[in-house]
Amino acid sequence: MSIFRDFYKALLDACYIWREEMRQAFRDEGVLIFFIIVPLVYPLLYSWVYNNEVVREVPVVVVDQSHSQASRSFIRMCDASPDVRVSCYASDLDDAQSLVSRQVVKGIYLIPSDFAERLNRMEQATVSVYCDMSLILTYKAIYQTAMAVSQEMGTQMQKRLSGKYTAREEMITTRPLRVDEVPIFNPGGGYGSSILPVVLMLILQQTLVLGIGLAAGTARERNRYGDLVPVHPCYDGVGRIVGGKALCYIMIFAVMGAYLSVAVPRLFSFPQLAAPSDLLLMMTPYLLASVFFGMTVSCLVRYRENVMLLVVFISLPLLFMTGVSWPQSNIPGYWQGVSWLFPSTFGARAFVRLNSMGASLSDVLPELRYMWIQTACYFGVACLVYGHQLRITRRHMHERLDYLRKKRQVRSQLKQVSEGGHLHK
Amino acid sequence: MKYLYDIWIIAKREFKILIANRIYGFCMILFPLLVLVFFTTILDEGVPEELPVGVVDLDGSSTSRGLIRRLDAFQGSRVVARYPSVAEARRAMQENEIYGFLYIPRGTADALLASRQPKVSYYYSMASVTSGSLVMKDLKTISTLGSAAVGQATMRARGFTPQQIQTFLQPVRIDLHQIANPWSNYNVYLSTVFVPGVMMLFMFLISAYSLGMELKFSRGKEWIAKADGNILVAILGKFIPQAVVFALLIAFYEYYIYGVLRFPHEGGWGMIVLLAVLQVLASIGFGIFAFGLLPSLRMSMSVCSLWAVLSFSLAGSAFPVMGMDSPIQALTWLFPLRHYYMLYQITVFNGYPLIDAWFHFAGLVAFTIMPWPVLRKIKNAMLTYVYIP
Repeated sequence: MSIFRDFYKALLDACYIWREEMRQAFRDEGVLIFFIIVPLVYPLLYSWVYNNEVVREVPVVVVDQSHSQASRSFIRMCDASPDVRVSCYASDLDDAQSLVSRQVVKGIYLIPSDFAERLNRMEQATVSVYCDMSLILTYKAIYQTAMAVSQEMGTQMQKRLSGKYTAREEMITTRPLRVDEVPIFNPGGGYGSSILPVVLMLILQQTLVLGIGLAAGTARERNRYGDLVPVHPCYDGVGRIVGGKALCYIMIFAVMGAYLSVAVPRLFSFPQLAAPSDLLLMMTPYLLASVFFGMTVSCLVRYRENVMLLVVFISLPLLFMTGVSWPQSNIPGYWQGVSWLFPSTFGARAFVRLNSMGASLSDVLPELRYMWIQTACYFGVACLVYGHQLRITRRHMHERLDYLRKKRQVRSQLKQVSEGGHLHK
Repeated sequence: MKYLYDIWIIAKREFKILIANRIYGFCMILFPLLVLVFFTTILDEGVPEELPVGVVDLDGSSTSRGLIRRLDAFQGSRVVARYPSVAEARRAMQENEIYGFLYIPRGTADALLASRQPKVSYYYSMASVTSGSLVMKDLKTISTLGSAAVGQATMRARGFTPQQIQTFLQPVRIDLHQIANPWSNYNVYLSTVFVPGVMMLFMFLISAYSLGMELKFSRGKEWIAKADGNILVAILGKFIPQAVVFALLIAFYEYYIYGVLRFPHEGGWGMIVLLAVLQVLASIGFGIFAFGLLPSLRMSMSVCSLWAVLSFSLAGSAFPVMGMDSPIQALTWLFPLRHYYMLYQITVFNGYPLIDAWFHFAGLVAFTIMPWPVLRKIKNAMLTYVYIP
């Protein structure tokens, strides 16, 4: 029976630790910010920033030196495209450049004076495109619009020159091979839909690590000896400490995780192809791995504020290591190795593929496996470091106890000596 | 003279603090350098090359094999696998093996020769915008070339000259000039914003942290006393050593990217130095302001870190600010990194005159003098507040 009693006792202790941790989390405003406010507000803010998804109507300036019907038709077609807006006309390239410099426009279309002449002479005509390369998205919009318009104009020229009779013949001459381009996942090509799923997963991990680290720092600072584990009969055993604390974090972030993975994509209509059960099976190991990762990191922190210095700056490298901003296949091997240390790498990849690409659980099986391995490893490490902290606490406790005992001994000896003196008198 | 002496005394005290607490060494030198190495090595390729793509070739003709060979020969793509059906190729995309695939249906070559206008399709994933658009570009080029090859063969058979053929196939040619970054190198485009951004993050945090630590270890009174009660002297003395360390760090960064990696810098070294100085002063100014506004270590550091993390998005280097909603556009003015980025791209990267970026210059100067209204509050905090854990 005693095994059951011990187990019951451990359970009660874990519940006590859970309650203490919960109370502390809601009392400490630093922890509260990272546990509640940031996970609630940041996704909304980021979603708002990337709300428009794509850049439309990028302003360009046109230098039309040809002044011909052909050049005007080129300009009109560019202006009519969704991505580019002809906002200014300049008389020469220097003028146009000064408009780019003043950030009025993002690029220049220069149509040389012999444009129409060459077209009519059946020579190849040229349109020069100058792009401000400080923004890749505007560069792409300006260049691709010019390409599309030049191809369309070319097709019209070909039709006129080929001298075919029917529309069908003309179509076959200009395009013998038809091409269908199908963006199957995230078909709008939106920047927000592409990057936000990853950002959401990163917010989850980073706020967890920051919150746990701050809570641990506070616990240390409240403690007389700067120990992480307080002296208390309930804090007697690694299992119940790690279990009790983890239970508290999991409870808070089960809610936050559901909000981040289900509610936010729905609110801002980002891709949401994952089945609820698949999402649950994927988020569970991610949350567990993040919690134990956070608990491991929190043992490194001496002062509570240091955790911010350690954790905040890695958010951006972590974003890159997930493979959304830079293709995963082109990340050097050593950084891939480093990325395996962090739950967010696999969590974000699995989430993107489930939710944005409609993959099934079996497609993300490697990621799930890695996350469970991480959960096990970080749980083991968390137990080890908390065991170490517990030993330190016990040592401090024994030292204190020895000190008190000695104090009492000395006092009683002194008392005896002084009493003895009295007797002798 | 006395002020200068006081500043010197406080600066010496600050140097001792910076050396004694190891976290300063980590955050002012080691971590920023780590981030510099991270971004410059991960983006070293410049443009992602050899992205894995697949093919579904149901035709199996010499025409389709030619298309596939040419696709493989592109710098941007590598044909890693052939799939027997579209469903399997799609599954491979979902398993993250390929970023896109070319689908050539049965009878394509026959239909092409018989002028029945066959259709080939390419499927790509925009779940990651970078890889998606690169794969799309290559697949698009290859299909256009496929169309052109047919026309070319017909015209050559009819005896047209190569020049005539070229003119007919492409009457209007686009002559592209990619100003300042002709390789469209992603390293130039991302590292120059994100690395300084992370350095600014550390400047924010360390400024607030070092002020807060005075409170935490109750050294505030001693610090103010050393300045004879003059808060301006106290602040100058405390932050000059930090500014010097950060300026050296940035100098190394500038030397590394412009001197070693040869990133474009049309604006020349004068502008680079000016920008670096403004960057340090504005960031430290913001950190002090955050602490003055909320004189508590944890609150000011939370504000600094949340602000700094947001500024990576609101700098508008990846997704342009003009594509954001107008309230957000106005909000970007409150982020020093936004002004830094604009100043950098106008004056250093493109080499345009400083006057065209005057607004952002003024923005960074404003951040530098931002602590002014809260100096009194900081002094008050140092003299009266007690740190509560």
